[in-house]
Amino acid sequence: MITIVDYRMGNIGSLVNMFQHIGEEVIVTNEPADILRADKLLLPGVGAYGIAMQRINGLPGLRDALDEVVLNREIPILGICLGMQLFTDFSEEGNQEGLGWIPGSVVRLALQPELRVPHMGWNEVKITNRTPMTESISKHSRFYFAHSYHVVVADANTRMLSTVYGEEFNSGINHKNIFGVQFHPEKSLKSGMEILRSFSEM
Amino acid sequence: MRLDVFGATMRVNKTETCRGVVAVSRGVQVMTCTRCIYDEKVSEISFDNEGVCNYCRQVDSLVSSYGTGTARGELKFRKLVEKIKLVQQNADYDCIVGVSGGTDSSFLLLLAKEVGLRPLAVHYDNTWNSAVATQNIAIVTKKLGIDLVTYVIDNKEQDQTKLAILKAGVPEFDADTDIAFISVLRKVAAYHRVKYILEGHSFVTEGISPIGGNYFDNAYVMDICRRFGDFKPKSFPSLGFWTFLKWSVIYRQQIIRPLWYLEYDKTSARKRLQEELGWRYYGGHHLENRASAFAHTVWLPQRFGVDLRNLSLAADVRSGKRTREEAIREYGTPVHVEKNLVRYVKKRLDLTDDEYLLLMNGPRRTWRQFKTYKRRFELLRPLFYVLARFGMVPMSFYLKYCFPLRKHS
Amino acid sequence: MLQNRVIPVLLLTNGSLVKTKQFKSPTYIGDPVNTALIFNELEADELVLLDISPTVHQCGPDFKTLQSVASECFMPLAYGGGISSCEQGEKILNLGFEKIVINSSAIEEPNLISNLAHALGSQAVVVGVDFRRMRDNSRAVFSRNGRRRAELDLVSWCRRAEMYGAGELLLTSIDSEGTWSGYDLPAIKEVASAVGIPVIANGGAGSLADIESLFFHTGALGAGVGSMFVFQGRGKGVLVNMPSKEQLRDITKTKYGSRL
Repeated sequence: MITIVDYRMGNIGSLVNMFQHIGEEVIVTNEPADILRADKLLLPGVGAYGIAMQRINGLPGLRDALDEVVLNREIPILGICLGMQLFTDFSEEGNQEGLGWIPGSVVRLALQPELRVPHMGWNEVKITNRTPMTESISKHSRFYFAHSYHVVVADANTRMLSTVYGEEFNSGINHKNIFGVQFHPEKSLKSGMEILRSFSEM
Repeated sequence: MRLDVFGATMRVNKTETCRGVVAVSRGVQVMTCTRCIYDEKVSEISFDNEGVCNYCRQVDSLVSSYGTGTARGELKFRKLVEKIKLVQQNADYDCIVGVSGGTDSSFLLLLAKEVGLRPLAVHYDNTWNSAVATQNIAIVTKKLGIDLVTYVIDNKEQDQTKLAILKAGVPEFDADTDIAFISVLRKVAAYHRVKYILEGHSFVTEGISPIGGNYFDNAYVMDICRRFGDFKPKSFPSLGFWTFLKWSVIYRQQIIRPLWYLEYDKTSARKRLQEELGWRYYGGHHLENRASAFAHTVWLPQRFGVDLRNLSLAADVRSGKRTREEAIREYGTPVHVEKNLVRYVKKRLDLTDDEYLLLMNGPRRTWRQFKTYKRRFELLRPLFYVLARFGMVPMSFYLKYCFPLRKHS
Repeated sequence: MLQNRVIPVLLLTNGSLVKTKQFKSPTYIGDPVNTALIFNELEADELVLLDISPTVHQCGPDFKTLQSVASECFMPLAYGGGISSCEQGEKILNLGFEKIVINSSAIEEPNLISNLAHALGSQAVVVGVDFRRMRDNSRAVFSRNGRRRAELDLVSWCRRAEMYGAGELLLTSIDSEGTWSGYDLPAIKEVASAVGIPVIANGGAGSLADIESLFFHTGALGAGVGSMFVFQGRGKGVLVNMPSKEQLRDITKTKYGSRL
């Protein structure tokens, strides 16, 4: 059972569809009681860092419940796209404080003359540090990205996947029970399905 | 509880899945053919004093008269090919081949080109195709340089028809596709002035499907739509009785089954298709289309206890591909249902979970409760005998449609 | 490396798929949900679904069909047709679409672009621009499925759309659409060089070589394909098909999708 955190930002419909397809039950909620009962969490996200943190902090009891289950009980959590970025301390975008679960910050993708921002489309990943989630990734895996900002981490051990778009950036991070991917597994066909499946089997 | 299915009365035991007339009974002794695996519950079956069933004997007699897989059969086929080329020399094409993306029809195209025929491929798209089917058709026709005609039925009308069939509670979920396919083949043949329609049936690999099982004709489909859908199909390529006779008698269209003459084995056919053309196997008979996959893996087994795997398994046993014990064991395994198939069906037909359950548990009916041409076919048996003898209607059609069926007790 | 995208573009009208030629003479293709599922099985990079029903502007999007399509597709989906408000845009995204495409509505009310970009994020807002080549070889923008000429020059309208906050452009050459004769490369190149956002070209693809040409010569990041993926061949019968992943990989391997 996967508990998807609903703070009204993110492609929850597609996530629910993909989990249904792989036969995994999901609930979509922002009730602290549901969060506290969760076995596994999923934090989606599309949009602006600042607005996202405001929403999460604004929903009564949600922030505390998340901190409790993620930091104390250490249940597995997967952050997707903006969801992964929220794990950090702060972002250039909007100068907001994040959840602070993985030391690091969010910066804009470097603008180079020939690059178009946002980074949008299919790209490959390289495994920087192996984790249970990277087992499902092969050299044929490709994932769909759609973002203008990326995560820089303080501790190199928390890097999990990297991708090249102009510069090399972290496309996946991990610290203990906390996993994040910059791409959208729910929109990455088979490769993405394998990521969500490996998360559901943890 | 007694049910009337296929004109045969069955006893349904609440602890086991419903037994259908073509299912091998699980764990209960029934009289079974000593050669293949058809048992006493197969419609219109009888056993001779060696315990061999009439279907095996029928296959034997067909092999003997067609010379299947022998030099004699090969020669018969070559002569037929020469005749086709001669008759069709002024037309754009020699023959029509109905294609589905599956093994048999794809192989037929390869064969047709090899013997120097100029085939026109025809596909009836019921809007439930899987990707493997359409890709296979594309790959094979492109690689072999064969022209393709497709007829696509209106998707909304198709869904109305399927829903009506489910509501009617009859086993023949794919009856409309079966009729439409033949109708489109014949119409295209007439348009291009082609007399010869190549069909991929092989009694060696598929056996003869039991008489009385899976009945379909145009009137049946129309009546189902009228009574359980309250509509008259418009984009459906109808094959009315007189139209059928027109194509057969006046246009003299003939159905040719090359695989009745030639050596044919599905495994080697698939290998050739894969290696020579890049064709892909879709994993099971009729599974290249989602509607027929639903019919074979869900509707028939769950609703009627009918498991049609016995057709090809029995054929495998007869041809020596499998031992009888292996086949019986295989037949005893549960039918594999593709994971998201039922969800897809509910989506297409706009059914809630409850509505679907109601349809899966509603009253069962048979073709006997609807308007069909059956009686007419029976009354005109002598005419159809002559047409069959001259190859204008398939002999299997004559055998299946023109004889009244025994009611089992 | 970021790859270029090859994107089937499907046209929806009254619950069925059709294919037009130069925006006229629709040919019935089949069922939208089954066809989308086929492209999902074939692992298409992305799918664009455009509703071209004459009534879509009054009646709004066919949410039911869109929901069914979205639940069968695990690659990015874009929908266009009759979107004129943020509520509709949000509803579409919630069904499972990544992007919305606005065309006539954007021309009639450009602020809609920035409103949608603000509400949904600019990466979710695609501005569709349909154009025809005029006698003097200039390109004129048309709205309402090619029926109404907008008093807009192609390149300057695209620049404005970018300024208003569009995340991508979907450029369709009405003259080339359905003709299998190749994309309007000069027009695409001009626009791609003038804007910083990704450009998806549409209209005219007839072969893999056409797609390769597009990527090589214009700086477009996406190749919209219609007829080539729904017919067996030029002038032939309906058949949903796509080149293999291997064939596509060879032609989508380029640098970033550079501005030339």
